[in-house]
Amino acid sequence: MGSSEERVVAVIMVGGPTKGTRFRPLSLNIPKPLFPLAGQPMVHHPISACKRIPNLAQIYLIGFYEEREFTLYVSSISNELRVPVRYLREDKPHGSAGGLYNFRDLILEDNPAHRRYGGIGTILVIKVSAESANQFGELVADPVTNELLHYTEKPETFVSDRINCGVYIFTPDIFNAIQGVSTQRKDRANLSRMSSFEALQLATRSLPSDFVRLDQDILSPLAGKKQLYTYETMDFWEQIKTPGMSLKCSGLYLAQFRFTSPHVLASGDGTKNASIIGDVFIHPSAKVHPTAKIGPNVSISANARIGPGVRLISCIILDDVEIKENAVVMHAIVGWKSSIGRWSRVQASEAVTVEDEVVVINSIVLPNKTLNISVQEEILL
Amino acid sequence: MKALILVGGFGTRLRPLTLSVPKPLVDFANKPMILHQIEALKAIGVSEVVLAINYQPEVMLNFLKDFEAKLGIKITCSQETEPLGTAGPLALARDKLIDDSGEPFFVLNSDVISEYPLKEMIEFHKSHGGEASIMVTKVDEPSKYGVVVMEESTGQVERFVEKPKLFVGNKINAGIYLLNPSVLDRIELRPTSIEKEVFPKIAAQKQLYGMVLPGFWMDIGQPRDYITGLRLYLDSLRKKSPSKLSTGPHIVGNVLVDETSKIGEGCLIGPDVAIGPGCVVEAGVRLSRCTVMRGVRIKKHACISSSIIGWHSTVGQWARVENMTILGEDVHVCDEIYSNGGVVLPHKEIKSSILKPEIVM
Repeated sequence: MGSSEERVVAVIMVGGPTKGTRFRPLSLNIPKPLFPLAGQPMVHHPISACKRIPNLAQIYLIGFYEEREFTLYVSSISNELRVPVRYLREDKPHGSAGGLYNFRDLILEDNPAHRRYGGIGTILVIKVSAESANQFGELVADPVTNELLHYTEKPETFVSDRINCGVYIFTPDIFNAIQGVSTQRKDRANLSRMSSFEALQLATRSLPSDFVRLDQDILSPLAGKKQLYTYETMDFWEQIKTPGMSLKCSGLYLAQFRFTSPHVLASGDGTKNASIIGDVFIHPSAKVHPTAKIGPNVSISANARIGPGVRLISCIILDDVEIKENAVVMHAIVGWKSSIGRWSRVQASEAVTVEDEVVVINSIVLPNKTLNISVQEEILL
Repeated sequence: MKALILVGGFGTRLRPLTLSVPKPLVDFANKPMILHQIEALKAIGVSEVVLAINYQPEVMLNFLKDFEAKLGIKITCSQETEPLGTAGPLALARDKLIDDSGEPFFVLNSDVISEYPLKEMIEFHKSHGGEASIMVTKVDEPSKYGVVVMEESTGQVERFVEKPKLFVGNKINAGIYLLNPSVLDRIELRPTSIEKEVFPKIAAQKQLYGMVLPGFWMDIGQPRDYITGLRLYLDSLRKKSPSKLSTGPHIVGNVLVDETSKIGEGCLIGPDVAIGPGCVVEAGVRLSRCTVMRGVRIKKHACISSSIIGWHSTVGQWARVENMTILGEDVHVCDEIYSNGGVVLPHKEIKSSILKPEIVM
């Protein structure tokens, strides 16, 4: 803590397989954090944002996916960014704060610090529409000091249109706060007597003492105690719960690349390379025929083959996909090793073979299917 | 010999195509429907065709004037001022049908497409010596139609059963008749039905004979049957004059392409496709089971199946048109649009996809 350099450690909570069910069928093949958006694994985007933090000592990914699922990615990204990235596996879900606390010794190894406002933490906040706010943690901050005055997770009635983005900066003191909650839980379990404050917390009473959530268990009680502050972003923020959202977010990242790293975006006018419209990412190993027309919002992953006369609009084409001549793919995610037949039209699918001249619309297709008939608004198992 | 073609009404079942032209002038296999019949009649020596029509006779006659000269056949109209059913128009055209020769005359329903074995029908008529001959065709679901019950060996018609619930036979009236002039004496000038009122009486006197139609038969009065009819017609063309059909690596099955149309690189056309005159089919287009009428442009990479593309329409790049989509005259489907069974009235621009079968006004 005495370091003059104020070294920073970044922690990204990646969750685990039980949480990824809404992301099925895409999460059947790959941990959701590694699903590619704008040509990069989802978790790559926060990692590369962390890379820009001065004095960054270490990035930890905490989750309860199998360690081996992250091994390859973690080693390649460490090399690429020249920042040590480590995956820490929780034995079971401990809640967002519990997971952090579990690995406090490792996190504190690099003596990180944060003292901007004098509190123990700052929360990234964004303004959303009043109608959508109740899907998130709603909070109220002091307009002058930015102190967090009130926090409530997914309230039934409207509290505020400012919500928690799930991005925090903490001082090591956060671990004391987490420990406090944990100890309180143990005490409560040991004593049958309940204070009025505890009576209000009936809902959480039965939780195990080592399961601590950042939002309900830390932010709510610490609001208004000059411990937590907010920082409001004017940039984009989205939650990626469903495959459909990943398409939108892929587009947002591609649009960001237009400003931050335009060289990764594809270009072409149909002469030597395919015609490119808007923001498009094409992996260097993918082969795209010059007569194809791609974009806007398309990302094409490794070893994909895009045939002559193919039209791709707003889609994610994953590794080893083959799209044969004159097929159209719109607003869809085409899963690993899928094959889309000639003159087919696809508007949502994954890891499937679509035979020639078939149409797939608004459908979710589970892996390893062959479609020889057209489908519309169906889930195919 | 003379012939009467029952043209009838507005052809509402073939809308939106019949919003642009009378039904008999709607193209079928690159030729107006009625020309198939007129040419077949001319081929067996019919010299005069009377069209029994109840609307727009000027449009029909103007159009057919050219063909009168070209085919060397006289075409006249007999216009009903009120609908006269299927027999009334014969009484109305009586003077045009009767001449000194005393020869029998043909009556054809204009919705019907077949191989028109009219020569065989004349021989059949002569051989049985009865007053009237009727062509019958075998169908899978006779309960939908009027069944003709006849004596197997001679073809003598015993009775007609309208939409039978119990199986009485599988031969139905194919809408092609050869009648002696005396039949006209049995028909009054009033709305009346030939199959319900006139034929049963002739059958009762054992003067009506049915001939089983060899080859295909289809009533193409509605889009689905029109598309099926094209398949049957092209199958028949394959047997009779295969040289009229297209060949090449980009062709699958039976495809009829007018010589003035252009087909681009990397297309796959067929089976059962008719492309009319002056069409442009750009590169990488897929067409199957469809009719593309005069002056249509199909842009690159589009895919069309089981549909009818009306005159002078365009289909945009990467558009997909299928499932009984019927585009009226001068309809423009924009790039990348999907039409699943859209029925589009003439002179429309389609800018958003039609995901479920519906009518676009």
